[in-house]
Amino acid sequence: MTALKYILRDMVRLVVHHWVLGLLTLITAGVMLWILGVTTLLSLNIENMLTKLESELAVQAYLVKDNTLDVEAVSKKIQSLEYVASMKAFSPADSLAKLQEKMGSQSRALEMLGDNPIPWNFEIHVNRAEDVAPLVNALKEMPEVEDVVYAGMVVRRISALSRIASRVAMIMFILSVVITSLVVYNTIHISLYSRREEIGIMYLVGATRAYIATPFVLEGTLLAFFGALIACGGIIAAYFPGIELIRENLPLLTNILLTDRGIIWRFCALLAGFGATLGWVCSYLVVSRFINSITRPE
Amino acid sequence: MNINFSGVSKIFEPDIAALVDINLNIEQGEFVYIIGQTGSGKSTLLRLITRELLPSRGVVAVGGVDMRKINTSDIPYYRRDVGLVAQDFRLIPSLTVYENIAFVMEAMSVPKKLVAERTRAVINQVGLWRRRTMRPSQLSGGEQQRVAIARALANSPSLFIADEPTGNLDFTTASEVMKILFAINAAGVTVVMSTHNQSIVNSSRRRVIELVGGRLVRDEKGGTYVS
Repeated sequence: MTALKYILRDMVRLVVHHWVLGLLTLITAGVMLWILGVTTLLSLNIENMLTKLESELAVQAYLVKDNTLDVEAVSKKIQSLEYVASMKAFSPADSLAKLQEKMGSQSRALEMLGDNPIPWNFEIHVNRAEDVAPLVNALKEMPEVEDVVYAGMVVRRISALSRIASRVAMIMFILSVVITSLVVYNTIHISLYSRREEIGIMYLVGATRAYIATPFVLEGTLLAFFGALIACGGIIAAYFPGIELIRENLPLLTNILLTDRGIIWRFCALLAGFGATLGWVCSYLVVSRFINSITRPE
Repeated sequence: MNINFSGVSKIFEPDIAALVDINLNIEQGEFVYIIGQTGSGKSTLLRLITRELLPSRGVVAVGGVDMRKINTSDIPYYRRDVGLVAQDFRLIPSLTVYENIAFVMEAMSVPKKLVAERTRAVINQVGLWRRRTMRPSQLSGGEQQRVAIARALANSPSLFIADEPTGNLDFTTASEVMKILFAINAAGVTVVMSTHNQSIVNSSRRRVIELVGGRLVRDEKGGTYVS
């Protein structure tokens, strides 16, 4: 307990005595984590946009015109296919009504057809664009299905775009994490380099490695955590007004962007946690390196 | 704490022999002067005792423990029993006089009250109580030397290593420092001190070990600076 009190006191002492270097670490961590946060949010929005587009992709399966056909059984069969996210059945009458509604004033032309030519059909949704092709193949193999209609080119493009976007988002995220880590590590390194003599003296007068390292590690963790909080503040201050601006000028986009405040708050909490962990890991590595070089006798 | 050097040589890269084949034994409670010209190996010998350096050949044993075999994690515990006054003081620049001295006890998790008592006692012992809130950069060389001595005394060590502790001091202050060291020694602490100060060595007539070019050329009980 006594040691803990001294360690905490030493940490405060480090922050106060070396406030310029501390401020440098705080600002650098804040800026880098803000960049990381913005990059990640951008990636998440791209992912979200594509997921929404993909989930709106529909495959229309028309059954054979056969009065003896057990529609419910066919429905269950389709439902059991692994690519199906959701589906809705339309009776011939429902389909005709829908068509008449779509055609508006020209709907009288449908009366010329006589009997309703539209069979039972299903509107099937998938989770990912790349699921459309195997689903279509599976539907075509079913004897109860007469025709399958879907926007083939759109599906292929969205599927390709989705794959590219996922990879780009992942690369952007990894690059941001690596760059942020390197910059924060080097800033802490610079900050501690000026205190290496101090570390050496502490060891010489009988302080253990843990006693020397802990205040430095706590200081690094704390500064990176506060840097992350600043970054979160910057993200929240920029993101929500940005969304409002989009809502006013491009309302269509609002539906495909991440607008849930809960998600953004949780994201910020994660960023703050990441910042603290990054600070802890970086300062631990830097202090360990210094102590190792000091404790190694010539 | 007794010290034993057995066939010790220290060679720095690329090929600088700082110490050559040193054999000596210092018993618990002895007061020993290490003398010799600059570059004769005095500091190297002391740094081998504090385990800042390891010998290139031979064995350095302190309190019966081979310094080469001591675990890295045990070094801080060993050093808590060794009071060190370095030539360049080695004070923590960002801490005050009081904090520098208190630190060595705090690192051992000594309760705050005891730290305060002991710190006050050793600061008074070196006559620096009025300077306790000052940082090393605000002190003169002699004052910094006394802070280093007070810090070395704080843990009541059984071995006291002093590398030219009077080097930066005027005659009066040097005499006061020597009084402190003799008092520590009188309490049974082994004191090993390197010095260039002839009058101190000549007036106290303790054991003198002389180094020339890294070789031990004289080991004389009750000796003087010049044989």
